[in-house]
Amino acid sequence: MADKKVIAVIFGGRSVEHDVSVLSGLQFIEALDPTLFEGLPVYVDPLGQWWTGDALRKRSTYPVSQDTQLTQLTLDLAATATDRPRFMTQKKGFLGEKTEYVPFDLMVPAIHGSNGEDGTLQGLLEFAGIPFAGCRSLGAAATMNKQFAKSVARQKGLKVLPELTVAKPEKGAFLDPEALSQQLETALGEDAFPVIAKPSNLGSSVGVSKADDIDALVAALMAIFRLDSMAIVEPFVPNLVEYNVAVRRNADLAVETSAIERPLSKTEVLDFKNKYLAGGTPRGPKLDTGPSEGMASLNRVLSPEELTADQEKTIRQTSTDVFDALALAGSVRIDFLCDSKTGELWFNEANTVPGSFAYFLWEAANPSVSFLQLTSDMISEGFRLSADRLGSTDAASGDATIFA
Amino acid sequence: MTNSSKTQPWHSETIGSNGASIIWLHGWGQDHTAFSRLAGLFSNTFRNRLFDQPGFGKTPITLVGNGTREYAEELASILEGTGPHVFVGHSFGVRVSIQLAALHPEMVAGIIGIAGAGLQKKRSIGFKLRAKSLQTWGKTTRIIDRLLGTKMRPRFEQRFGSADYRNAGDLRPTLVKVVNEDLSREAQRVTCPVCLIYGAMDTETPPEFGERYQRLMKNAQFHSLEGYDHWDILTRGAYQCEAVIKRFLEKNDLI
Repeated sequence: MADKKVIAVIFGGRSVEHDVSVLSGLQFIEALDPTLFEGLPVYVDPLGQWWTGDALRKRSTYPVSQDTQLTQLTLDLAATATDRPRFMTQKKGFLGEKTEYVPFDLMVPAIHGSNGEDGTLQGLLEFAGIPFAGCRSLGAAATMNKQFAKSVARQKGLKVLPELTVAKPEKGAFLDPEALSQQLETALGEDAFPVIAKPSNLGSSVGVSKADDIDALVAALMAIFRLDSMAIVEPFVPNLVEYNVAVRRNADLAVETSAIERPLSKTEVLDFKNKYLAGGTPRGPKLDTGPSEGMASLNRVLSPEELTADQEKTIRQTSTDVFDALALAGSVRIDFLCDSKTGELWFNEANTVPGSFAYFLWEAANPSVSFLQLTSDMISEGFRLSADRLGSTDAASGDATIFA
Repeated sequence: MTNSSKTQPWHSETIGSNGASIIWLHGWGQDHTAFSRLAGLFSNTFRNRLFDQPGFGKTPITLVGNGTREYAEELASILEGTGPHVFVGHSFGVRVSIQLAALHPEMVAGIIGIAGAGLQKKRSIGFKLRAKSLQTWGKTTRIIDRLLGTKMRPRFEQRFGSADYRNAGDLRPTLVKVVNEDLSREAQRVTCPVCLIYGAMDTETPPEFGERYQRLMKNAQFHSLEGYDHWDILTRGAYQCEAVIKRFLEKNDLI
């Protein structure tokens, strides 16, 4: 049998979604076909340092303490010129420090939110010629910025809510409520309240809040600016329900959609705690119980009965269009907002590294896609897209040789 | 030998109705629900019957002091006239599967042994001396209690007995018998295809057991899964087990 491919799954990261990312990363490793692949956990701590070690495979290791036996890693950005991609690590030996190498074949970004899902990591890997799974830098960056993703969707004729983009004020300056009211009126029309304010570049409902008047909006925006430099303000959708669907390109290169879910929430807006720690047990997801946790344990209705055939068609078609328009890859979750009384639907956002890679939506799809199949397909796609990217980079092939 | 007239049915749950038959046998101290996640992954393509073995879950003890051979005989009698089946066992369940394959090869199409027990760990001389002295002390406390009416033995068990031993209740004679079993000879008699899966971090039934079983059996393959222990291989490790099991079943035409 051929050697197993080493799949480095990178998770954690300098992001507010650090903990959720740990779960998604471990779930991916646990769903790798062990006859084909060997998982290598790569943990990025909140300071941005990279680590590996068997202890990382257990949920009970988190939060990682200084006593945890881990090996610090550095990514070798020049290795693919001559060899397989690899990490470097310093080992203390008899004759002083020695560099050792940890080779791998493909990286799977499982970092949610900034510095991982936003195209930065993907750009780094593309630069270094390291094969990786999921979206390329373009799609990842485009979807991370909610306003940009919506503008592309709008151009494609897809239905999105109007929005006002607000930049973080200069240091020492404050938001001017009067100017903000004016801008709001221009963007959303008169009597815009209530509105929803959210960070432009974060996922997982982090920092999302409802404002009933201008004072509440200013307060909400100031809270958002601790997390992000841009915020978007949208009209509040009455009778709001959300629908999510996952999209991917299957092994036959056809774009397909998963089962649709309606996340359940007792509050009007899903906040982070509700979304990930459903059941009110903050320590719950750390149990070593395996894949039925994180996003997967969020209370949800799969294939909700109230959806009409037309609504389902709209959700599937819109998400496929978004997937194509933004050149996405991997398992992407597309989120929709819906007014349950009128049935109106709006494309809300695309998550290129969704919690738990949305495997539970694929397992509930018709035909069902197992998590094993999903990880294997994502890896194959990653190798294919990375191989397709550059083609020949020889200067002579483009007749661009100067130093003959 | 089977004796259906004496055998009480074991409680079981059936998952899935299409495809080949898989019988699931849980580990010591557990019941059929230990396989809920893993067996669920086979629900679309197999008929899965998850048993509670006697003394566990909803199946009462049938005979105090039964060993794994008697468990296997009872199961053979329950399954008489059906099969052959594929058996998936965890830990103690692997012992019963091996016994069954050795006693009734016609009933067993294949075995998937996850963290299979049934071999003796290689122990240091220090460990053996300590175990022997504890055994002697245990017997001594029993004699003293009998002669003087003291209650040293329960305190001794509380202090030195394993958790399984302390919690075994009426199954204690079975436990003592089972942990002292060595199934090397039975393993040599197994002719069906066998898939041995162990967690690389398992200290209860270390992967070395799997390698030994592989050498003893005629047609066995061994897999060590990184990052799993004796228990979480069935939960966190369910997908990896699924991948290995499906490939094994395909390769051996057991689907």
